[in-house]
Amino acid sequence: MFKLKPRSARRGTAIVAGAAALALTLIGCSGGGSTEPIPERDLGTPVAGEVKAGAFDGTTLTFAGSGGIFQDGQTEALWNPFAEASGATFNQDAFDAGKLKAMVDAGNVSWDIVNTTQFDTARGCGTLFEEYDYSQIDVSKIPEGTITDKCMVPQIMYGLVVAYNTDEFGDNPPTSAADFFDTKKFPGKRTVSQSTYVDPQTVEFALAAQGKDVANLSPDDIEGAFDLYKGLGDDVIGWTTGAQAQQQLESGEAVMGLVWSGRGYGAAAAGAPVAPMWDEWMIMVDSNGIPKGVKDKQAAFAAVNYSIGAEQQAKMTELTSYGGVNVDSKPKLDETLSTWMTTEHLDTGIAPNVDFWVENYDALSAAWAGWATGS
Amino acid sequence: MTDQTVTGGIAAGSAPGAGGGTPRRRIPSNWRTLLLFVPAFVIVTLFFLAPLIDVFIRSITDPKLGLQNYEWLFTTDANIAVIVRTFGTAFIVTFVCLLLAYPYAYLMTIVGDRARNALQLFIMMPLWTSILVRTLAWMVLLQDTGPINGLLAAWFGIGPIPLIRTTFGVALGMSQVLLPFMVLPLYSSMSKIDKRLLPAAANLGAGPITRFFTVYLPLSRPGIFSGGVTVFILGLGFYIIPALLGSSKESMISALIQQQISVFLMWGQGTALGIFLLVCTILILVIVSRFNKNGSLFPGVDK
Repeated sequence: MFKLKPRSARRGTAIVAGAAALALTLIGCSGGGSTEPIPERDLGTPVAGEVKAGAFDGTTLTFAGSGGIFQDGQTEALWNPFAEASGATFNQDAFDAGKLKAMVDAGNVSWDIVNTTQFDTARGCGTLFEEYDYSQIDVSKIPEGTITDKCMVPQIMYGLVVAYNTDEFGDNPPTSAADFFDTKKFPGKRTVSQSTYVDPQTVEFALAAQGKDVANLSPDDIEGAFDLYKGLGDDVIGWTTGAQAQQQLESGEAVMGLVWSGRGYGAAAAGAPVAPMWDEWMIMVDSNGIPKGVKDKQAAFAAVNYSIGAEQQAKMTELTSYGGVNVDSKPKLDETLSTWMTTEHLDTGIAPNVDFWVENYDALSAAWAGWATGS
Repeated sequence: MTDQTVTGGIAAGSAPGAGGGTPRRRIPSNWRTLLLFVPAFVIVTLFFLAPLIDVFIRSITDPKLGLQNYEWLFTTDANIAVIVRTFGTAFIVTFVCLLLAYPYAYLMTIVGDRARNALQLFIMMPLWTSILVRTLAWMVLLQDTGPINGLLAAWFGIGPIPLIRTTFGVALGMSQVLLPFMVLPLYSSMSKIDKRLLPAAANLGAGPITRFFTVYLPLSRPGIFSGGVTVFILGLGFYIIPALLGSSKESMISALIQQQISVFLMWGQGTALGIFLLVCTILILVIVSRFNKNGSLFPGVDK
């Protein structure tokens, strides 16, 4: 066995201390990588879905999305065609808000476009996300009311909808948010988001069921919404991932669920007897966010501008089942998909109160943490 | 440094000690050997120590200097509930693993080589399967409309018995994953026990129960401690199994940390939780090492 003599031990300590100092210095330096400013290219007036051929030769962009068939569809319908038309190279990564914060704090941002929610871009606008220069993006075809803050261009439109089992309730389906909470009229287990990810629409849905106007909320309403869910007792089961929500619907474990429209469609497409309730549903919009300190803002804007073209959006919808954000987009839908298409039912959807949730995020997150940890 | 000085150093150092004693101890060029440790030190410092210091500093400075993150940790009811639950679940899992692993490890010490290899293979095989795949399999088996409840309904007309989204489901999934970490130290400890001691005790009049509790169990204690500590500490950090097999009522500290870091972006609170978990782990190690005869945590490691 190797043993240290006191003198050597002291030297050992010195070496460790030296190594520690060196390491800390290295870490300290790694933050501020200097980058040459990229000269502005002349791209002309932006038109949604178009980009000047070869304008971004040699540029590399990275998109961080939420994975699965959703990101595969985005890659195929939006980013790869942009790369081909503009000469840019497009990389894919997985989005995580914590990782984004780490990148921005360290001043070393390796993502150019991220897929996140309208609440996150609103909350982090100016600190985590760059403000858009809307003169570089053609937003004339974006559905009205979907740009909810200065740091977002919509990515998709979808919804939080009640999906119910048609074998159970086919003749007498639920027709309101209140029905979701009525276990006498509609007996059985219902599944609802209990993931660690805070979902204001889940809260808004309960408030709508209580007859509250979502456009006009007060912070005192928040606890009441959770009490409504807790009041379901053993009849409420939670889902922590979209895949789990779909699985619970497919297996028939939940006779009803408040789920993302794409997951309800997934269960129906897999053959489960599941239908959507369109009477009261919560509109959701995902944001294209540009991380703060992105290296080539102009290229990121151009890619987003390209992605919101009618053709691109139609293809994305066909591949992912999520609604497009171009009013001219005309995707070819099969029968199942057309029954789950949120963009066909905008008249009965309830738009989120983004400003309220950004303002009251602390109260929301504390209440949600309690809900998501069962206390 | 040149070859010349190295050789010179050793030659000069070993010369006086050539007469007797242990020459290795007399080499004054020990510090050169220490140089071999430098890469390891640098790596540990860069990738372990520095982030850890960063995490600690963040826990007392984010968003402002002070102990408010720890105050939040210990004064929020949801946190206390999750902490108590995390320790409770880890304890249950440790207990279940010990009950299952003890006879299994004992069996491994008394069978022949071929059977032992087979037993070892059975215990190692789960380690080679993705934790996610195994958890998803449990999800299918345990759900209300799954095969277990299906059989119960078909044969006995009962159910559905809640299996998934219960502490039982979480403990079951975790125990399956952690069982090898209990069996292997137990086996390593038991295989060192002199087999002749039991007949010797019997010869002195001890019955089977006395033999087990006064001879065998104390001798296998190092294995129980190191297996128990390993399982308990690993159990504290579980994330995916409580998330999939449990409901919100079974979520553990790791889920809380993930939520603070990745969702709320409240890193001060997240890092305070992380430091709390680390301190608990170190305390457990220190306390348990007091109970081991030679103060070491792992059987076969002499102090």
